[in-house]
Order: sequence, then structure tokens, then C-alpha cells
Amino acid sequence: MASPTRAQVLSLYGNLLRASNSFYSYNFREYFVRNTRQRFRAHQSEADSARIKALYEDGLRELNVIRQAAAMNRLYAGPRLVVEKSGTPPSPYEGGKAGEGGGDAS
Amino acid sequence: MLSRSLLSRSLARNAKRASGTLSQARRTFVQPSAVDKANIVGTPASVDDSLFTPRQDMLGFKLEAVKSTEKNRPIYLDMQATTPMDPRVLAAMMPYFTDMYGNPHSRTHAYGWEAEQAVDDARAQVAKLIGADAKDIVFTSGATESNNMIVKGVARFHKEKKKHVITTQTEHKCVLDSCRKLSEEGFDITYLPVQSNGVIDLAELEAAIRPGETSLVSIMMVNNETGVIQPIEEIGAMLRKYRGVYFHTDAAQAVGKIPINVDEMNIDLLSISGHKVYGPKGVGAAYVRRRPRVRLEPILSGGGQERGLRSGTLPTPLIVGLGEACSIALREMDADHARVKALSDRLIKGVTARVEHVVRNGDVNGYPGCVNLSFSYVEGESLLMALKEIALSSGSACTSASLEPSYVLRALGAAEDMAHSSLRFGIGRFTTEAEIDFVIERIVGTVSKLRDMSPLWEMVQEGIDLSTINWSQH
Repeated sequence: MASPTRAQVLSLYGNLLRASNSFYSYNFREYFVRNTRQRFRAHQSEADSARIKALYEDGLRELNVIRQAAAMNRLYAGPRLVVEKSGTPPSPYEGGKAGEGGGDAS
Repeated sequence: MLSRSLLSRSLARNAKRASGTLSQARRTFVQPSAVDKANIVGTPASVDDSLFTPRQDMLGFKLEAVKSTEKNRPIYLDMQATTPMDPRVLAAMMPYFTDMYGNPHSRTHAYGWEAEQAVDDARAQVAKLIGADAKDIVFTSGATESNNMIVKGVARFHKEKKKHVITTQTEHKCVLDSCRKLSEEGFDITYLPVQSNGVIDLAELEAAIRPGETSLVSIMMVNNETGVIQPIEEIGAMLRKYRGVYFHTDAAQAVGKIPINVDEMNIDLLSISGHKVYGPKGVGAAYVRRRPRVRLEPILSGGGQERGLRSGTLPTPLIVGLGEACSIALREMDADHARVKALSDRLIKGVTARVEHVVRNGDVNGYPGCVNLSFSYVEGESLLMALKEIALSSGSACTSASLEPSYVLRALGAAEDMAHSSLRFGIGRFTTEAEIDFVIERIVGTVSKLRDMSPLWEMVQEGIDLSTINWSQH
């Protein structure tokens, strides 16, 4: 596989964010969204194409793991935490559907 | 006809015997009731029958759960007791809970091979985190078992020649209790005191060593109540001078949180817990050095798994989980540490800026994810009761049921009242800023409310020095 295109990387970023957002548990959701953002920002100006390719492949693996993890997390949804805004809870299934439809650029 | 008469005769005889015993003996606990009295007891009138009756669309009986009022879960801030399992770890474990169920010790078929491969991979992942060789890792059921196995095993193996073990007063209960057991068996144990910041004095440790007599020095890396980090590298370098003295460190709270290298730190034995590194409960590991070889007497005997040190079939899914947790911890240690440090500073600053008379217990340069604060003139347990929306502990989970002040804080030289008013905040990978801000708000509000009720606080405000009061006149 050649080095991923800009569109492929952006698509992976979007998919990872969506998958991270689909966690039901507040702490996991917050962590994975933050983690995804941080990791993409950290490598924003990466120039080495071999490095980009390796990171992209890592990202694809990570996406699979996060989707599985989030799906299992939604199965056992418990009460919400006291710090969560009760007004706008994220729909527990939004991520799963979006993730399936999105697909990977690979 | 025949059976019927037999039955009636035996019934009559039984009844006769029953009435006979009734008249002779006193009431026993169980009174045999006559057959005709037995009937089905209906539900009492106070119970609403509609709860039990099935609705039209139901296929059978089903108790309708009473809908609980919308209740929120408290914030979890007790990461020293246990950490939530990372969802990525669960994802890695699931295949071994479902389809790949082989016994890793089965050498004759593919089910065993795939499980063995998974265990070997996990072993390498655990070893990498502490800079060890994969063959030096022994899987156990947790840090308590590792500590027991090591402390008792090393001491007992060398009991013919060496009967002295050194540990510290602030160790976890499982090390202290193993040492107590050893002292019952005739071993001599030195419990080293700690300085007021919780760190041991190296000179004092060196003075306690009896060359040729001491077999083991066991000092924990990160304390579970105060977060104090012991100078393991210096201790290891110092102990190297004494041949035959093995160095064990209980790193349950340290693994995955601070960098560890068993070779650089000269550690011979080390304990790891799965559920303190965002892994599953019920699994742990022990590092037992092979070169130069550390020998210990196993506690469990059996099939000779794990180099004969810990017999018993390995729990493949849990071990895979521990391995995955360790590999995630290694990858994200720097990011996690920076974040935990930032949150911990935010918490300490937020609380101390708005509440007076707060004392931080333990060394300031300890692990930032464990913040132990004492709130003067407030009783720790009542503070815990009032903070319903935060899951906290005043000390170790093992002793959280008792009202005794923490022995760790007492070893640091904390006064009894300060040890009673302590709270331990555990911050971890999944803690957020919003949670910390919420906690600060609640702590500030609750402490000032409790202090307003306290006569001691009133006296302090009036400028009376509490230590000058003669309390015996009451």
C-alpha cells in the first residue's frame, strides 16, 4: 500500500472521532476523543512518508479496536455520572451506525 | 387398598408419636405440622397483587421492576483501590473468553498452541514494561499472591542459613502480614521506620542489614495511600554491595505509571497487579530474576507450570488482558503522567486556595495520581459520608471498613487527629477536568459546612490553641 492520501487520513480521523464519541461511559468517551485529537495533532506536520504510512496503519487497527470496545461498552450502559449534563446525552447508538456507514479509505 | 391401609396406619403411628413427644418434651425449634394443616399461604393483604399478575401481552409471570428514580453515579476518584478496565483491554480479551478457549499447557493440539502463543505474547508485553526478559515473568492471581509468594518463598528457601527479613512500616498489608507469618515461623523481621515525608532513610536501611543473615529486603515502590515514591534505584545500588541479599519491590501502584527498569534499578523480585494498570482483576505477575538466579520455595505445588513457581492452569483471557494493559501503559505512560500531573495540580491548587488548614500527607514529589490530604478539624469518615457524589476513600480499601486511623499515616508521624481526617484522591487515565472541578466545589462546600458545625473549629477561630486544652475534665 502506498502512502495514504490526505483524504484518507482525514477520513480515518473522522471515523476515529465518531467511534470514540460512541462510547456510552463518560470517562471513556472523553478520553478517546481527547486522545484521538492529541495524536493527530502531534503528527500533523509529519513529512516522512514511511512514517505516515506506519501511523496510518496503526490508526486503522486502532479504529477497529475502538469500534469493538465502544460497541461492548454500549451493551452495558449504566446510570450517568453526576458531572454529565443530563440535558443532552449522546445517543447510545449514533456512533455504531455512523461508523459502519463511513468505511475506511484503505 | 393395601397401600392405603398401610399409609393410614403409619400416619396414625406418626401422629401418636408426635403427640407423645409433645406432651413429654419442651417445644423444639421445628414443630411438625399435621398434614391437613399444610396449605399455600397467600400474599399478605398489604402487598399489591397487580405487581405479580401478568399483563395481557405477557407469556408468563414476570415481576415488573420498579422504575428507580433517575439517579446519577458518583465520580470515581479511588484509582489506588482499582482502576476501570481500559475498553481496549476488554476488546483484546474477548476472543479468549469466547472462541479461543484452549488450555495454554496443552501441547498436543491447535487450541493449546494458540492459547500458549497468546500467553507468550502477553509475557513479552509485561516484561517489556519493566525492562525484563520474558522468561523472568511468572503469572499469578494478583499482587497479593506475588507478594506472598516472594516474601515467604525467598525467606523459606534460605531459612537454613539466613533468618532475617527487612521491610518498612508503610508496606501494603499483604507484605506486612506475610512478614508476621514468617516471624511466627521463627524469622527475625526488621520493620524500618520512614521519615516524616514517607521516604525511608538509606543509612538506616544499610545499618539494618546483617550480612550473611539477611535474605530479603522488601520495599514498595509507590505507596498506595500517600503516593510516596521510594528511592528504588539508590536502594538497589546500595544492596548490590551485599551478596545474598535479595531485593524485592512491590510495584503494584507503580507499574505503568512511572518508568521501571529492573536491570537499572537492580531489582531481583517485583510484584505487578493487573487491575491497577487498567487491566482485569484476578491476575498479576511476579518478576523473578533468573540471572543471577533468585530461588524461592513455591507456595502452590502441582503441575509445575510457570517454572514450577506457581502451578495451576493459566487464565489465558486475563493474561492477555494484563499484557494488553501493559503494552497500552508503556505506549501512553508519558501522556498519562503529564495529564495526571496537571489534574493533580489543579485539584491541590483548587482545594488549598479555598480551604484553610489542609495538609498534604507524604512526599510532595511522590506519584501525582495519589493525593492524600488531611482536613484539620473535620472527621474524615463524616466527610466521606457527606461527599455522596464522589467515590473516595480515606485510605487503603482493605481497611476502609474500620474506623482505625491509617497505619501508613501514623508511620509518617501524623498526629492521630490528622490521620483521622485524611482523604485519598486517586486520579487516573480517564479522569477529566470537569470531574476535578466538580470535586473541588463539593470538597470546599462540605468542609466549610462540617467546620461550621464543629465546636473545635469555633475554638480555633477564637484563637484558642487546641493542644493546650485539658480534655480530661468532661
